[in-house]
Amino acid sequence: MKRLYNYLPVCVCVLALLTIGELTAAQETTKQDSTRNDVLVTVGYHNVNNQWSYLSVHAKAKLNGKFQSVKGAKFHVYLDKDSAGTLVGDLVTDDKGDAVTTLKPSLKDQWKSGTTHTFIALYDGDAHYNASKTEAVVKEARLKVDTAEGRNIVVSVEELKDGAWTPVKAVEIKVAVKRLQSDMPVSDKESFTTDSTGKITAEFKRDGLPGGDKGLLTLIAKVEDNDTYGNLQVEKTVPWGAVLKPVSNFDERSLWAARFKTPVWLLLMEYFIFFSVWSVLIYLVFQIARIKKAGMPG
Amino acid sequence: MEKSIEYANITRDLLPMRFSRWGKVWTAILLAFCAAGAFAWILQLKNGLVVTAMGDYVSWGIYISNFVFFVAISLVGSLITAVLRLANVHWSTPLTRIAEIIAVSAIVFASLIIVVDMGRPERFLNLLLHGRMQSPIIWDVIVISTYFILSLLLLYFPLLPDLKILIRAKETTGPRLNKLYRFLGSFWKGTPEQVRLSEKAINIMCVTIIPVAFCIHTVTSWLFATTYRPGWDSTNFGAYFISGAFLVGAGAVVVAMFVFRKAYHLEKYITELHFDKMGKVLVMLALLYLYFNINEYLVPAFKMRKPEAAHLEDLFAGEYAPMFWFAIFTGMLVPIVILLFKKGRRPLPMFIAGLMVVVGAWFKRYLIVTPTLLHPFLPMQGVAEKFHHYFPSWQEWAITMGSLAGTLLIITFFARIFPIIPIHETIIEQHEKAV
Repeated sequence: MKRLYNYLPVCVCVLALLTIGELTAAQETTKQDSTRNDVLVTVGYHNVNNQWSYLSVHAKAKLNGKFQSVKGAKFHVYLDKDSAGTLVGDLVTDDKGDAVTTLKPSLKDQWKSGTTHTFIALYDGDAHYNASKTEAVVKEARLKVDTAEGRNIVVSVEELKDGAWTPVKAVEIKVAVKRLQSDMPVSDKESFTTDSTGKITAEFKRDGLPGGDKGLLTLIAKVEDNDTYGNLQVEKTVPWGAVLKPVSNFDERSLWAARFKTPVWLLLMEYFIFFSVWSVLIYLVFQIARIKKAGMPG
Repeated sequence: MEKSIEYANITRDLLPMRFSRWGKVWTAILLAFCAAGAFAWILQLKNGLVVTAMGDYVSWGIYISNFVFFVAISLVGSLITAVLRLANVHWSTPLTRIAEIIAVSAIVFASLIIVVDMGRPERFLNLLLHGRMQSPIIWDVIVISTYFILSLLLLYFPLLPDLKILIRAKETTGPRLNKLYRFLGSFWKGTPEQVRLSEKAINIMCVTIIPVAFCIHTVTSWLFATTYRPGWDSTNFGAYFISGAFLVGAGAVVVAMFVFRKAYHLEKYITELHFDKMGKVLVMLALLYLYFNINEYLVPAFKMRKPEAAHLEDLFAGEYAPMFWFAIFTGMLVPIVILLFKKGRRPLPMFIAGLMVVVGAWFKRYLIVTPTLLHPFLPMQGVAEKFHHYFPSWQEWAITMGSLAGTLLIITFFARIFPIIPIHETIIEQHEKAV
């Protein structure tokens, strides 16, 4: 025991040195961490036409006081739990910090096992950004679009509860017509909120909207960034558009047509001017011959 | 007897002369430029348009600028000969042939420079075989050919009485030239019927050449104005081009007047009165062109639509600002200031003002063509950085300088072969004055 006491100061010194070493190392790590930024991740669930679903991941970080998209960030996305069997996909963000993946058929059983699901996005981190874990919880829901008399659109929202589809109230819905560049609201009202029956009714006020050669328009009902249900979208084609018979002047005579399709009025004008002027020129050349003749003796 | 001596003196003064030492040096310099231009063209034919600095953006570079310049300068034939003749203005008689030969030589090189710009000359045939009658390019080809023939005839008809004089002066002109004179006009005897036919033909030509000249400039302006681009998208372009063409043509005549007067000692025939009159014409045309310039730049500058703004800023304060302000000051403002004063309308200041107008006009044509092409309404995506700027290659410069030298060479050789001031008309005028 006495011998142990003799070694005590040495042991204390060694322990102290080890502690200082550890602390310094910890400080270094903290320093390193403080140079890396946190990535803000948004995980979105999307369902289209109650048929196929996909997930979107958006990564951004605050750099120099401004949010900027994080390009090339690698994510592992899981359904409900972080295990190899529930891997939805490995994603890499693009220039805009976005990445998308569909839900694989192999996850069908996992999806059917409950009505509320959690999507887990794991980010490993790199030299610039810290690792992170982001979760998004969604309840399974569906949208239904129907049309009623007088060009009214009835949209209902239902969630899966105890094996049955139950109407949901107070959900914000947008109803629009699909156009080439973006979606156009069907009326001046931007959005509608479902009543106690889980329905909204929107009046279609875009009469005369071109609907191709059959007058068909595609209606879209959307639930966007809902905290409970994510993003739902459903489309329905209706014959409410104006029938647009395409008029092609491709083969007609015009200023911009092909060579043999010059407008007749232009040809007449051109030929008139051309022959008028050139007949004068020919006349002038003829005058030279007359002058020559007039200079001949006799 | 006295009168016949006087007429003999006029003939002697105005007959074409052999080149002096300076004339030979001048011709040699022009030939050297032409040779350099021809060499550069051969290189271009061999290697293709890749030898030029033109690219996806500037597809009409210095060649088309030069073409527009030549077309513009050629208008002078109709101004001096036709307009003043029809207006019964007699003081312009000594200047008509100078104006006509400038017109002919300019139009020759306007046609040639287009062929140069096409890259492969044989493709000109495609224009005739596959051209669309709706295209201003076809109209331009037709109207340039028409104007060339008309200018040539307008040069030839008034030359006929002089050819008779030249044939008689065989001892002075030499046997070779005499052969040429005989070939061109041995049939001219000066009979009343010949004079009547000739006068009638000249009058018809004077009436015809004015609308044709207006057409050539309007159609050339439509090559630009029918193309939807900043700086070209203007309904004013036809009038703008015509006014500019009148100005540069008149400026060129003033320069040529001064040079011929000095070189051939023609002070008796091209007097200070001619300079004064031409000075007044020139200042009026400069003011007119200035008016159209204000229209062309002020109206879009007032609206400053985004694509127009980039183009205008480039001209007013950007990459092309030095050239733009040089063209405005040299081509219009300074000559206006010089020519507004009587002292400024004396031969030497007139020569300087005329030279400034011509040089300013060349740069003005460059500014009409190039900066606009660098600022299209729909910018191209993913083009090389070098395409956003344009500076002609040495081959382009050589061909351009060669073509300018070629124009001067035609005028020089013409003045060597034919009287640059109409002898017969001068004698007639002297006779009328005496009577």
